[in-house]
Amino acid sequence: MTSASARRDGEFACVARNLSVAYRAEPVLRNVDLFVPRGVVMGVVGPNGAGKSTLIKAMLGLVKPLTGRTEFFGLPLARVRQRVGYMPQSATVDWDFPTTVQDVVLMGTYGSLGWLRRPGRAERARAMAAMEQTGIADLASRQIGELSGGQRQRVFLARTLVQSPDLYFMDEPFQGVDAKSQQAIVAVLHALREQGKTVVIVHHDLVTVREYCDHVTLLNQRVVSSGPAAESFTKENIRTAYDVAADDDSFLEFVS
Amino acid sequence: MSLLEFFTNHTYRMVLAGTVTIGFVAGALGSFAYLRKQSLISDVIAHAALPGTLLAFLAAVLLAGTGGRNMLGLIAGAVVVGTIAVLFANGVARTSKISIDTAMAVSLTIFFGAGMLLLRIIANGEFPGKGGIQDYLFGNASVITIADLITSLTVGAVALALMLLFWKEFALRTFDPDHSSVLGFSARAIDTLMFTTIVIATVIGVKAVGLVLMVAFVVTPPAAARQWTRTLPGMVTLSAVFGALGSGVGAYLSIVLGNVPTGPLIVLTLFALFLVSLLASPRRSIVTAVLTRRRARAALKRELTGKGSAA
Repeated sequence: MTSASARRDGEFACVARNLSVAYRAEPVLRNVDLFVPRGVVMGVVGPNGAGKSTLIKAMLGLVKPLTGRTEFFGLPLARVRQRVGYMPQSATVDWDFPTTVQDVVLMGTYGSLGWLRRPGRAERARAMAAMEQTGIADLASRQIGELSGGQRQRVFLARTLVQSPDLYFMDEPFQGVDAKSQQAIVAVLHALREQGKTVVIVHHDLVTVREYCDHVTLLNQRVVSSGPAAESFTKENIRTAYDVAADDDSFLEFVS
Repeated sequence: MSLLEFFTNHTYRMVLAGTVTIGFVAGALGSFAYLRKQSLISDVIAHAALPGTLLAFLAAVLLAGTGGRNMLGLIAGAVVVGTIAVLFANGVARTSKISIDTAMAVSLTIFFGAGMLLLRIIANGEFPGKGGIQDYLFGNASVITIADLITSLTVGAVALALMLLFWKEFALRTFDPDHSSVLGFSARAIDTLMFTTIVIATVIGVKAVGLVLMVAFVVTPPAAARQWTRTLPGMVTLSAVFGALGSGVGAYLSIVLGNVPTGPLIVLTLFALFLVSLLASPRRSIVTAVLTRRRARAALKRELTGKGSAA
């Protein structure tokens, strides 16, 4: 890559080029290019099996891509880990694990500590601040198995916030969430946007996409469209991504 | 037999100290196997420890020309072959559609079968110091020597020290492997360290307890401890205490009852601890869970039928 294009890529929080992933011989993503501008909330939207979670995992190196690579702030992930935060789907862990809310949130500080160093008073203070931000400070010493679905998501959100990254990847943060938790998470999203942070969320609910996201990437194994919501999240593009016939417009009433 | 008689007897002291060490180390490190839902991995390790120790014995006798019963050498052989068996099981599960339990069963039986063949070869051959080598199947706590005990204590202390040193990394990877990777901790490095400690915890007991029953030392104490605790440090500590306590009481009973094998009595003691934990723990008791549910349903029924008749 020339230095000129490297500079240009620095304008983006994250750039994935020609990313392809296959589970065994089955292709899940085909030649995906994704450009996430700095300071936006980008929704990754698409039907089940579209490869939304896989896209994020491949970008973060959790799934080995067949082709392509991803850079964050113009650099490979290994050099900017502290600036990139990941909030996985909450169902991916065992919530019967013997640990408390504050201990899970504290784990968000482990990246900055590195090997062997233990969290101290400063890390615990950061964890407490993150729990206050997501409205779970009163649950700090609660066993995680006693939490509701929404509280679990807020624990994961706090664990991501405590790292204070510049770029957030959130995999279905509104999955299985009650109204109160939804409000708390939306408030955090808005706060992050005001601070100029970049957020990429995998989102399921088409109705609320416009409300939460400035930019939308419609995905179905390949990128159907990507850009500002008004240009990208159109009836035409949604039909293509969801493979819905043109006359079935009741499906799309919510899109203006 | 009085406690004084018990503690003044050298053999009894050795049996007690040896089994308590094994119980403590296996209990502590078994917690991580339990939480990673790989409890049976220790069964794979224990069965693969048979060919491992026998190969180490053969190597010592044939190549070094020394007596083959040096415990450190036998542990080293068990660790190497036990690790290969674990890697094989995990590798099969990762690269194929075969599930981990099947992969572990395949790995366990093939290594155990190889061990049984080696055992027969050694039994039929002229090897100095081969006497008692079949003890590895069912263990024999009464043959623990001072040197064995020191080896167990040292190797066990190394495993526990690794656990304490990498506590933060072990906890992080056990709770959420993907998060651990994104934060920049090498999955392979942590897994290697963690499974090394679990392998050590399993193989130090093979001589005294036997490979068939060793899995109980790794599995039962964490399962019992989980019933009482809410944090990881609490669980690991209590599991270690349960392991040590069960081993101590079991070893004492085996001696007091006279001519009863130690390993099986320890397993029974551990099971008693497990049963009490399952029934009586304040938060997770299956008895109180049933009672609470029944009471709540009765109250609900009263409320609903009461409303029905009023209307």
